[in-house]
Amino acid sequence: MKLLKIAGIAAVVIGWLAVGLLVARGPQPEIIVPAEVITRVGPLNLTNSLITSWVVMALIIIISLLATRSMKLIPSGIQNFVEAVVAFLVGQVEEIAGEKNGRRFFMVVATIFIYIIFNNWFGLMPFFNAFGKTEDVNHHVFEEIYEHAHDDKVYEEREHHAAWFMENTAGMTVAQSGAKAVKFEILAGDSAGVATDRYIIFLAEEFTDYKGPEDHEAAPTEADVRAALAALEADPNAPKVHLADAHGDGEAHAEDSGHHAIPSAALGGDVEYIDFPGEKLGLVIPLFRSAFSDVNNTLAMGIVAFLCIEFWGFQALGFGYLKKFFNTDGIMSFVGILELLSEFIRVISFAFRLFGNVFAGEVLILMLTFLMPFLFVDIIYGLELFVGFIQAAVFAMLTLVFAVGAVEHHGEDEHHDGHEGGGADAHHPHPETGAVQAH
Amino acid sequence: MGSWMVPTASLLGAGWFFATAIILGVLIGHWVDGKTGLEPVFTLIGIALGLAVAAVGGYRMLSPFMRWLGDNDSEQG
Repeated sequence: MKLLKIAGIAAVVIGWLAVGLLVARGPQPEIIVPAEVITRVGPLNLTNSLITSWVVMALIIIISLLATRSMKLIPSGIQNFVEAVVAFLVGQVEEIAGEKNGRRFFMVVATIFIYIIFNNWFGLMPFFNAFGKTEDVNHHVFEEIYEHAHDDKVYEEREHHAAWFMENTAGMTVAQSGAKAVKFEILAGDSAGVATDRYIIFLAEEFTDYKGPEDHEAAPTEADVRAALAALEADPNAPKVHLADAHGDGEAHAEDSGHHAIPSAALGGDVEYIDFPGEKLGLVIPLFRSAFSDVNNTLAMGIVAFLCIEFWGFQALGFGYLKKFFNTDGIMSFVGILELLSEFIRVISFAFRLFGNVFAGEVLILMLTFLMPFLFVDIIYGLELFVGFIQAAVFAMLTLVFAVGAVEHHGEDEHHDGHEGGGADAHHPHPETGAVQAH
Repeated sequence: MGSWMVPTASLLGAGWFFATAIILGVLIGHWVDGKTGLEPVFTLIGIALGLAVAAVGGYRMLSPFMRWLGDNDSEQG
């Protein structure tokens, strides 16, 4: 009976995996660290992570409006939920910072917590990283080679263009389930003509059975390029390279089709355009991307937290706050400088902790949708929900702890004098106040 | 709940803080070396400074946690 149970579970697991691999497999992810630009507004880049953060802000505003629209003394529904969350947060903050400081810090700390947790959890929605603008990689490569040819420049460093095989389905360009990401490489020192030859050979290798030259570093010879062209010509679904004809009207035709002709070093002529009768080379620029998988957003949060902490420090202690960093107390003056440096490094560590956790989670989920769809992704989703909460809590709690540290009177460890820091706890065995009370 | 949240945050925060301080020290030192051509003087200074900042800042970061440990001990004992 037990054996039957185990066999049953194994069958379900294998079946679930098989279904996932057959129908729900994502294409091989192309990991891009900076947030992708959707459009440009004047000199500003409108990135997908920025769009996500706006959507999240709108969501938070809508939820707060709904919760506070018709407030009742005995709350119910959404008002009840939001009140419970806020009461919980107030309790936490006051427990750590004391009532007086707690009320002062609460707004910022709770905002940080709510904003980060919303972003992290919203970023796990299935439509993230799934749809967006399709970039025509062929067009992109053409334009780039044309620019180099036009300015008569050689490539200064190795460049690569990644792409998926995509096909048109019902007016959309769709990457196939489990599509492999291909990479076209241009080496440093290549001229535009050599880049074109490499592109033709790359297309033949990816779309047909053609095998390119063994030596990838050397510039392709004319024989290689001609063989690649023949291979592409033979396959009806492979892209067709159109060479400029000798009459000289090639340029006009190229302008009509929106492409510029690019030179080929091995063939000695121009390539006018390339036709893709079957699958195309494309790359999806996702419309939504988890806001904190962009280091700009996390850094912004870190700077806001830093500014708030310093502001509270000055507010509580006036210019005496600076005594913590600049004093003439022998070795302590050096420690003060180190503390000043550590204030700034906190911002960076804030930014990279959040970015690292969210970005790693996103990459992990994308990779697993390609490798092991359904089963393993579900487990990692659970983990990511937890990580999203923990990171929001850590960011908010650390802001709070640092804020408590900033409003503490300097040298309080040595002198047990009065203070305005909260968190007073008469039976507390340690002299530090305004600090963590954990009961 | 609050009793575990602060120590968790301190511990998770301190790890990243150590790493950031030391790595930044090395990177900035290396960058200055490249500008001045005095390799490896500034890289070494950067490492030393990074370690010192990590120690001082890390102590500040972990003191709530150590206090929490002390509290728990005194409660149990």
